[in-house]
Amino acid sequence: MLTFEQIKELIELVCERNLQGVEIERAGFRVRIDGRTLATNSSSTVGATAATAVQVSPAPPAAGQSVPVEELAVAAEAPEEESVAMDGQHLLRSPIVGTFYTSPSPDADPYVKVGDRVKQGQVLCIVEAMKLMNEIESDEDGMIEKVFPKNAQPVEYGEPLFAVRPD
Amino acid sequence: MFKKVLIANRGEIALRIIQACRELKVETVAVHSTADADSLHVTYADEAICIGPPPSSESYLNVSSIIAAAEITGADAVHPGYGFLAESAAFAEVLEECNLTWIGPTPASIRMMGDKAKARQTAADAGVPVLPGSREPLADVQEGEKVAAEVGYPIMLKAAAGGGGRGMRIVQDREALESQFATASEEAVKSFGDGSVYLERYLVEPRHIEFQIVADQFGKIIHLGERDCSIQRRHQKLVEESPSPALTPLLREQMGDAAIKLAAAAGYVNAGTVEFLLDHDGRFYFMEMNTRIQVEHPVTEMVTGLDLVKLQLHMAAGDRLTVPSGFNARGHAIECRINAEDPERFTPSPGAITTFHPPGGPGIRVDTHAYEDYVIPPYYDSLLAKLVAFGQDRDEAIARMQRALGFFVIEGVRTSVPLHQRIMQDARFRAGNVSTRFMERLLEGDPSETSKPVEA
Repeated sequence: MLTFEQIKELIELVCERNLQGVEIERAGFRVRIDGRTLATNSSSTVGATAATAVQVSPAPPAAGQSVPVEELAVAAEAPEEESVAMDGQHLLRSPIVGTFYTSPSPDADPYVKVGDRVKQGQVLCIVEAMKLMNEIESDEDGMIEKVFPKNAQPVEYGEPLFAVRPD
Repeated sequence: MFKKVLIANRGEIALRIIQACRELKVETVAVHSTADADSLHVTYADEAICIGPPPSSESYLNVSSIIAAAEITGADAVHPGYGFLAESAAFAEVLEECNLTWIGPTPASIRMMGDKAKARQTAADAGVPVLPGSREPLADVQEGEKVAAEVGYPIMLKAAAGGGGRGMRIVQDREALESQFATASEEAVKSFGDGSVYLERYLVEPRHIEFQIVADQFGKIIHLGERDCSIQRRHQKLVEESPSPALTPLLREQMGDAAIKLAAAAGYVNAGTVEFLLDHDGRFYFMEMNTRIQVEHPVTEMVTGLDLVKLQLHMAAGDRLTVPSGFNARGHAIECRINAEDPERFTPSPGAITTFHPPGGPGIRVDTHAYEDYVIPPYYDSLLAKLVAFGQDRDEAIARMQRALGFFVIEGVRTSVPLHQRIMQDARFRAGNVSTRFMERLLEGDPSETSKPVEA
């Protein structure tokens, strides 16, 4: 039989990895966790929540015995979706497809980092496509609270790049 | 064979290409607009990149977005499907400059066949019959008589400055030409300010017959027989079938040879389709060439047992064509284009599909990107599904199509299923007796031609 801590870890695993479910059977018991994530609209400010059903049952009993099955329904908060805005934040999204770069050149300092204040029109990063370096400008005055992609990571149209807290 | 193919398209054809790639163990990249995030081609592709907002101009027609997507995913080839950029020579050229393989014919062939005047000239030079007529305006009625005698009646007098169906007069014979010529010129002056008139052979009840061409990069060009696409409404095809009830083996051979001759003259590689108009007297004329895979390609696939999209991938990858030329067909296939539109008013019907249950069973194939709970976006075309019925002969294909149409459940949006049921029941259709004027007559309930519909 699994401990409460172990079941909690399994639930977190299901949510973090967006698994459809986990099933474990050992001598004497079977645990099955169904992961069901509500579809997230990445432009909403609501974090993803996962409703998971946890079924804990004794393994098939020996001949002649019957054992009651307990079913627990557990609602768990999935870890906050990476690219979703918190209350009051504004997401700056990529207007093009390409590769995200934090700095104007490989050895230079990044344009901005978390905590920096930025002005509307200020260049925040580069998205490179077809050898063209496109400078992406801030559309708000505010403070950088999060940088989503890693340096040199491919980004698609509409992908969140920065979370900015407007002034 | 390619390692990774980017599909520069959406909907059912994107899914079709993904299926061919999957069978060949080629990885796939889907590109999509924000409106298509829940689309089936996005779901089934190995990777998906959002390339823009809903409007086609900013997404599916956005060359730099598509190329950037190919770059960041490491795709080595691009399949353009049909529509969108499928016949853009400029796009093909940009891809080549970026070291991406274009799955289609050369940019030069695309340009040549895209220019209708040039295509016609190429056909004429290659000895392929073209619709006869005077290309220059006629000096006077005497010249008109001379050209008309060469061209053969009936002819159509057309205002050189005209268009939109106006300034056109059908002339049945030489006696009528003199008076009609004068009237046509007067009308042209009044409507367009220019009295110039030219003439063209008028085909009374043509059939639209197209031939499937496949060519490799080593000069081998074959044809895979015809598709009869006469059932059209406002030049939009609704039903296609193969073989054509109107073709004799001799005619098939002549038209097939003509199609190959044209493809050779265009230096054609990969898949393409040569379209002809077939007159009721058995004469055929080149109309145009489509330098891409076509919507109705499954019809040919069903009667030949070949996979045309896989062939496209092989041809583009430099493999040799081993399929023999000619129409080695088995049975009969019919395709109905199921559109999300009102079956009577033909207005589009986007929105959420609440129930979706496609038919199956013997001889039925459904190519679709639709599913239950899918929301049809309003930004793109209305093609929802291609329903293909295959049978040992035409009667069985029709019977299977009727059965399948009856079993196709789509709720939440209006579809053209009822219209197709009407077509399948029509006595003229069942007799194989159609022309490009069939839909017009069916929708008008033309009394002179209406026979009692056969019981389904």
